[in-house]
Amino acid sequence: MNKWPNKIQEIIDEFSDALDQMERYEMLFEYAEEIDELDKSEWTNKTRVVGCQSEAHVLIEFGENGFHLRGSSDSQIIQGLMAITAIALEGLTPEEVTGFSPNFVSEMKVLETLTPNRANGFLNMFMRIQDDAREMLG
Amino acid sequence: MNLISDMSEVRSQFPILERILPNGKKLIYLDNAATSQKPYFVINAMNEYYSKYNSNVHRAVHALAGEATEAFELARKSVANWFGLPSGGMVLFTSGTTDALNLCALGWAKVNLSSGDAIVLTEMEHHSNIVPWQMLAKEKNLELRWVDVDSETYQLDLDDFKSKINGAKLACIIHTSNVLGTRNPVEKLVEMAHDSGAKIILDCAQAAAHEKLDMSKINADFLAVTSHKMCGPTGIGALLISPGIFEQMEPIQGGGDMITEVFKEYSNFQENEHKFEAGTPRIAEAIGWSAAINWMQKLDMNAAHQHTLMLAKNAAEGLKKIPGIKVYGDHSNDDVSGVVSFLHESLHAEDIAHMLDSMGIAVRTGHHCAQPLMRRLGVTSTNRASFYFYNTIEESNAFVDAVKSIVERFT
Repeated sequence: MNKWPNKIQEIIDEFSDALDQMERYEMLFEYAEEIDELDKSEWTNKTRVVGCQSEAHVLIEFGENGFHLRGSSDSQIIQGLMAITAIALEGLTPEEVTGFSPNFVSEMKVLETLTPNRANGFLNMFMRIQDDAREMLG
Repeated sequence: MNLISDMSEVRSQFPILERILPNGKKLIYLDNAATSQKPYFVINAMNEYYSKYNSNVHRAVHALAGEATEAFELARKSVANWFGLPSGGMVLFTSGTTDALNLCALGWAKVNLSSGDAIVLTEMEHHSNIVPWQMLAKEKNLELRWVDVDSETYQLDLDDFKSKINGAKLACIIHTSNVLGTRNPVEKLVEMAHDSGAKIILDCAQAAAHEKLDMSKINADFLAVTSHKMCGPTGIGALLISPGIFEQMEPIQGGGDMITEVFKEYSNFQENEHKFEAGTPRIAEAIGWSAAINWMQKLDMNAAHQHTLMLAKNAAEGLKKIPGIKVYGDHSNDDVSGVVSFLHESLHAEDIAHMLDSMGIAVRTGHHCAQPLMRRLGVTSTNRASFYFYNTIEESNAFVDAVKSIVERFT
């Protein structure tokens, strides 16, 4: 049995099979195009992810079908990671989102470390999404 | 040592330059403006202190304390000599340049400036030479005046400085920009400040790594310097003060080592450098900095800087040939450091930095703690490659080739 949901395991496998890091970045650029994009006109201080070197914005919704993320960034790597995060969390409940590990990114081998420093745009973005989900739980 | 012919000898003294990264790539370290690497000589000096004579300084009578005190105070003399401290000046050890600038703000300016007085800053300043003055200005109702940077020539507007310094009490100026590499005409700025009756402090964090600063010739009232960008350890720097300044300063921290006597009602302070160094000082770091100075004394600093400039110019010229890349800074003259800031029109700086990292090339990305300058340049961040004397032409070329391959593949 896979450790991750099938849709994420497939992405992890796809990235793990890449020839090198540059090919993984190419794949991230492709994923970046698939995101449900948050248009720049919708960027506000509320959508802004603090702590990213790039401008990164996320808007999360929990509807009848569970979690849905819209987002965008002027960094294609961050937007690609955002798109994969959106796939990972799509349809989940707020409880499931807050308990989801960001370590799938390590297994994708796209980032060398997940050290929580200020330069780690992905982790800041992921933690922000979990904070939003936590707020919904009250 | 002759730097150019002995490059392999120079590099062999920096063990980290042989580092193989976790991804199997050999390190190309181009983040020297953030911090330089350390030679064995410095690492060994600190190791020797901790291995053989680790002790607190100044007070105990035992042998180790004597050795440690001697080495610590010798370090102060080394720093004074290296920076050409004029007779009667003082070296006040701090944790680095930021701490030195804060000491100047709180220890001198807070005491000597009054409500309505003006301080002159420039748009080129690092945040460490902005925020302390903003905090003080708020507390004491001071005026902050900003000198423009020309976003085409990357130089300070000297006419604007001349106008702003008129009637001001203090100028706080970056000697060499950490973003643009621009070396400001500090000798002229000091003269202009003094002519109008203002004191001047120079932030020499970058400059000290690239040129042999001589405070007695620069004639500034204060120099803020740091060890870690000139091959020494992190955690130590100094505020160098010219003769007559000490008497105008008040301590900003109280504690051990800075007093002569403590009573229940009051305390008497030391009347030497220790007055501004409360508590156990940074002993190992001072010894490491002194070792770095001793090591750099063997270098021909001028030849080292010319070599660094050659690498930076080579990189800047190479980058300019890559479609969509803009280089920030004028590398056509010698009044620049080893910094090359650049930005691609569509690829984000952070993406380029990640990709360079995957190739083993360490550069910095972001606003470089200079957001007012970023706004003047009309950008939010740049990539910054910063060269030092131990880098090679092969590394400079490899860096340009790497950026070129990224741009070709991802645009």
